[in-house]
Amino acid sequence: MYRMRTKRALLATLLIASLAVASGARGAPDAQAILAASDVVRNPSKPFGVVVTLIEYRNRKQTDANTLEVYSKAESAGGQYRSLIRFVSPPRDADKLMLKSGNDLWFFDPASKASIRLSPQQRLLGQAANGDVVTVNMAKDYQAELIGEEDVTDGERFSRHCYRLRLAEKSPDVTYDHIEMWIEIGTARPVKAHFYAESDRLLKTAYYRKFQPQLGRERPSEIVIIDGLDPSWVTVMRYSEYGWRDIPDSWLQRDYLPRFKPE
Amino acid sequence: MRQTAAAVCLAVLAAASASAADMPSDEAGDADALSLADKAPSEKAAAQSWRVFGEGVLARSSFRNPSSSQDEGRASIDLRFDSTVAPTLRAVLSDRLDLVHRGEGVLPRADNVNTVREAYLSWHLTPDAITDVGRINLRYGAAFGYNPTDFFKADALRSIVSIDPVSLRENRQGTVVVQAQKLWTGSSLTATYSPRLGDSPNMSTFSLDFGATNPRNRWLLVGSHKFTEELNPQILLYGGEQTPTQVGMNLSGLVNTSTVAYLEVAAGRGRNLIDEAVASPASEHMQQRAAAGLTYTTSFNLSLTAEYEYNSAAPTRGQWDTFWGGGPGNVSAFLATAQMKQDLPVRDALFLYGFWKDVGIRSLDVSAFVRWDSQTHSREQWLETRYHWSKTEVALRWQQYSGAFTSVYGSVPQSRQLDLLLRLFL
Repeated sequence: MYRMRTKRALLATLLIASLAVASGARGAPDAQAILAASDVVRNPSKPFGVVVTLIEYRNRKQTDANTLEVYSKAESAGGQYRSLIRFVSPPRDADKLMLKSGNDLWFFDPASKASIRLSPQQRLLGQAANGDVVTVNMAKDYQAELIGEEDVTDGERFSRHCYRLRLAEKSPDVTYDHIEMWIEIGTARPVKAHFYAESDRLLKTAYYRKFQPQLGRERPSEIVIIDGLDPSWVTVMRYSEYGWRDIPDSWLQRDYLPRFKPE
Repeated sequence: MRQTAAAVCLAVLAAASASAADMPSDEAGDADALSLADKAPSEKAAAQSWRVFGEGVLARSSFRNPSSSQDEGRASIDLRFDSTVAPTLRAVLSDRLDLVHRGEGVLPRADNVNTVREAYLSWHLTPDAITDVGRINLRYGAAFGYNPTDFFKADALRSIVSIDPVSLRENRQGTVVVQAQKLWTGSSLTATYSPRLGDSPNMSTFSLDFGATNPRNRWLLVGSHKFTEELNPQILLYGGEQTPTQVGMNLSGLVNTSTVAYLEVAAGRGRNLIDEAVASPASEHMQQRAAAGLTYTTSFNLSLTAEYEYNSAAPTRGQWDTFWGGGPGNVSAFLATAQMKQDLPVRDALFLYGFWKDVGIRSLDVSAFVRWDSQTHSREQWLETRYHWSKTEVALRWQQYSGAFTSVYGSVPQSRQLDLLLRLFL
């Protein structure tokens, strides 16, 4: 039943996106549908697992590296993703766990057996916010507005003809106040995004690149994050080892954290 | 080199602005970042079943009454094994060996302690029904400094390497249990039985010390239900042979995107700490223990926790003064009992904890706490500065007990300790 609903939702999203893209010649396409289509490019439609490697640079020098195993599953009701994250490296953080379900954020350390509720402000991974690491359906959290079409240089220095969207938060508990996003016309691939604070200060720039076939379609295998204030602060987020995973809803709670062990 | 790069960037920016007025000014910086990302190493770390580190510590302690100092060296090996040994069977082993050598004139000169923290098997009967057998560090509690619902903490410490609450929760021996957990969407129920396996603690180096962790038959029931995203209480019921039933609750919630609030309470009959210390056959009374606090995180990743702690089993100012007047033996017995039970030795206290990740420079972390006893106006303080590389850490730690000679923390013989620590992950 759930799979059927998911399939239907996916088909509907793709249909809306296709209509939106096709209607470009006739009138203004639906910005929210364009954003939903780009979510489909980034996020597999069924529960999945992926290994995320973060390599951080300051002033061109590598300053940190982390590897995480992430299990994600979309909520059957709201459609937003919930994620279980296990730290693999560095050794001092190995086997620590994080659960993120909206703003319900828990951290578990197997050594001290402490399950601690975190606030979204608490960052565990240097430059990357917790919300950057986990899977997010942006169309659920942000209201999109089409600014126009323009050519932008992508993360691999090719020019892409894109929709330029402005995304405004739907509720104040999301990671960023507003976002500017470039989505390629025709493929719905996310190309580039600017993430802003409420004060309109640029927090981060992200480039989505190195698209590879993963779990049924071409998806970005790398996101390059550049700090808004200090462009020499760069984090490369690399996605690998995608796989479908069976994630029961009962696992996505605090009391399962001591039990979670990825395959 | 930097000047050349800057000149190139400026030239690129100038050319870009000439050809396209609306081109973002940060494009050169982005291009530079993307070039850097192109060269990022492709290898990634694989998950390991073993985590092993060695630790060396040099420590100097200062004592009062009479004033003296003591040097100590400690070498430790700490390992944790966690692996799925069969499709639904997980095995966990966690052990630590501390080899302590003290300076001239201090007895005992050597004090070697091995702590088998955990050794258990966990079997997933179904994806949402799990059973465990073995020694498990059962630790519950939403609070940071004092955990009234951490019912198995008594006699769990064999070797205290730091008074940091995180270290005390980590470096302790678990309890041998048979345990079953059933999970539903948003709910969980765990039943635990801890059988009697020994009579009294055994401090010989490689003792499994069942007499400390399993001195009598006990049980624990823990249930939780997620009513909303913000409301997910955990209720505990604990009891057993010569163990009056205790009820506990843990609750936490988000105040805003940077603040978490929590409450931890436990209540049940029991003797007060003074009666426990002097082994008085006094009757049991209803006791309440609680910790409530807020953790606020700044935009620059400094987390500050303020916690109020209460223990009705600990003495009031008047009770303490009378007890202290009974002689130094009283105080020693009281402090030893509070430490053994890991209970709050003061009626109420304010606990402030700060953790600042990446202070000024990447990989430099500072953490500190102060616990202020509002009854006898004494303090327990601790500060750690830690710098880490990928497999190496260096830390400098300081701890101090302050207050009048007649106060609770002022009565601790060891007034100050300074540690220099080196940790190497293998």
